[in-house]
Amino acid sequence: MKSVIWAQFSKDKRNPILVLAFIIGSILATLFFAGGIQTPTKVAIFSEEVNAEEIEAKWEELLNADDSLNFVVTDPDEAREEVRDGNIDVAVQLMEMDYRLLVISELPTVSLVRQHVDKVFQQEAQISSLIRSTGDENVRGEVENYLADAPVQMEAQGLDSEEVPNYNMSIQLMFAFTFLISMFLVGFKVNNVTNDKASGVWNRMILSPISKTSMYFGYILYSFLITMFQIVVVLVVFKYVMDYELGDNLWMLVLISAFFTFSMISIAMLLTGIVKSPEQFYAIYPSLIPLIPLVSGAYMMPGTITNQVLLFIADLFPMAHAMDALMSVIFYDANFSDILMPLLFMLLIGVIAMGIGINLIERRGLNKVAK
Amino acid sequence: MLETIHLSKSFKGKKAVQDVNLYLDNGESVGLLGPNGAGKSTTISMISTLLKPTSGEIKLNGINTVNKPGEIRKILGVVPQELALYQELSAYENLKFFGSIYKMKGKELEKSIQHALEIVGLKDRQKDLVKTFSGGMKRRINIAAALLHQPQILILDEPTVGIDPQSRNHILETVRLLNETEGTTVLYTSHYMEEVEQLCDRVYIMDDSEVIAAGSKAELLSILSSEDTIKLELSKINEDFVEKLKSMEGVRKVESANSQLKIIAKKGSNLISELVHLADRYQIQLLHYQTETPSLEDVFLHLTGRTLRD
Repeated sequence: MKSVIWAQFSKDKRNPILVLAFIIGSILATLFFAGGIQTPTKVAIFSEEVNAEEIEAKWEELLNADDSLNFVVTDPDEAREEVRDGNIDVAVQLMEMDYRLLVISELPTVSLVRQHVDKVFQQEAQISSLIRSTGDENVRGEVENYLADAPVQMEAQGLDSEEVPNYNMSIQLMFAFTFLISMFLVGFKVNNVTNDKASGVWNRMILSPISKTSMYFGYILYSFLITMFQIVVVLVVFKYVMDYELGDNLWMLVLISAFFTFSMISIAMLLTGIVKSPEQFYAIYPSLIPLIPLVSGAYMMPGTITNQVLLFIADLFPMAHAMDALMSVIFYDANFSDILMPLLFMLLIGVIAMGIGINLIERRGLNKVAK
Repeated sequence: MLETIHLSKSFKGKKAVQDVNLYLDNGESVGLLGPNGAGKSTTISMISTLLKPTSGEIKLNGINTVNKPGEIRKILGVVPQELALYQELSAYENLKFFGSIYKMKGKELEKSIQHALEIVGLKDRQKDLVKTFSGGMKRRINIAAALLHQPQILILDEPTVGIDPQSRNHILETVRLLNETEGTTVLYTSHYMEEVEQLCDRVYIMDDSEVIAAGSKAELLSILSSEDTIKLELSKINEDFVEKLKSMEGVRKVESANSQLKIIAKKGSNLISELVHLADRYQIQLLHYQTETPSLEDVFLHLTGRTLRD
């Protein structure tokens, strides 16, 4: 087993570009797609009324009171084009005392924007109405002061009476992209079994005193170690360099990642058992892998996918369970017993896929003499 | 030492090897000669325990190796037809890996690596990456990887495919040295008759999944002891001329290639005057006439009606 691991490591040491590219790729993908520098979501606003400039100036100030969204005055045609092209999720057409949202699909950002804009417009309508009825312009200041320190304030609490934490989508996306890229690394490493079979190195090992269990274990353990190295490096970079709020249970995150890596190695091994050549694996595996985070809802807010069939398919892959466990640990301080079920699901997927995969690989050599 | 008894292998009902009986004595160099697809590689895959026979036995010193592959694997070195090496690693690193899977380590491993490198003549290139080697050098490292555990039996599956004549000679010399000076028993498969003739004490000729002839070189050539091989070089060849040749008394086989003809005829048939006369009738100029001692190639032609490279 040690010899197999040494050979695989020597190959990567000789040519480390692939592993380094995957580590850097995970970091860049998160920064690029997840807004790693935590910039507020951009929302285009525009008006097509006669006094458009006046309306835009008034609502821009009111809407931008909240830092999490950035309302930017944009040319109407440009705003429509940006929504149509998917560059932004939503644009707001402003009227004197009303608004209209421009969207092309019901993304999580849309409901967030709708909620915020609706709140601002309702509050402004109430203040305007009050000013009209009292005729006193100072009412606005009084109302704003009053609301800042209202006698009745709402505070949301979780079932365990603790404060409901803010869900940070960037962290979820960081794991989604890290796992996505780690799945490619897993595939390339597990496919070394097929490569070595095709080159004849596997047969040389069969003829040697090394046991088949040691051979498989060598390939699997090396794939596991190199993938865990990639994940841990990315986690450490985001936690300690980019100051991502990953909580205090880093070891729990590493543990979940380890279970995820094991089950993905098993799935890659299953595919290795199905395909006939390394080339076939390279053609099929990269086509399938990007679908896993999609069906697992890794790129979406939790609860976005409600279709039962999709949820069932997601449960068949380890990613949904891993994301569930990770988010529970990061945002809800879940302990080991809380995440036991997702871990067991991943283990189960891993054991079944590995069992079938190795069985298929061996069946391909049905006529071969058993080690 | 090693024998196969009625060894057969079928893939999805199609016979790849049929009823093969062969044996190797200690220290012998035995050739397995045959064209591509004859069943040579399947036979040696079964002998080397990589493939399970459909029927038949393989015995090493009387012990059936089909059920107990461990016994033969200990003393067997296999040089596969493909380059079973890590191209990204150096020659030394490859040998270190293949040695370590045989549980060798430390000084023993180092000594074996250097010895194997010396045999194949690549000691000074050991630190170079295999992917930078020429085809011939890669083939030599492929052989070295099979020598690390000092096998008593070395099976080579067409080790000279696709390499230049110089590297080919180097490999043949290496195999000859291993057999003669180290006492390694060699089973050498090839479709190059001249390699087998040069290296092997005994030869098995395979065609269409069966052994069609076996014996020492002299024994095989004696099959043709009643025949002469005549080579003709002509200014041109036409089909009628060849057909007339075939119908001549004493002529057993005629094979044409470009402007050359190979005729196998009954020994003592004096064909020259008839040939000259026939060529003259067809206005063909006879450029060269040669009577040859038969080779294994001629034996194969005699047995199958085809050449080894057909």
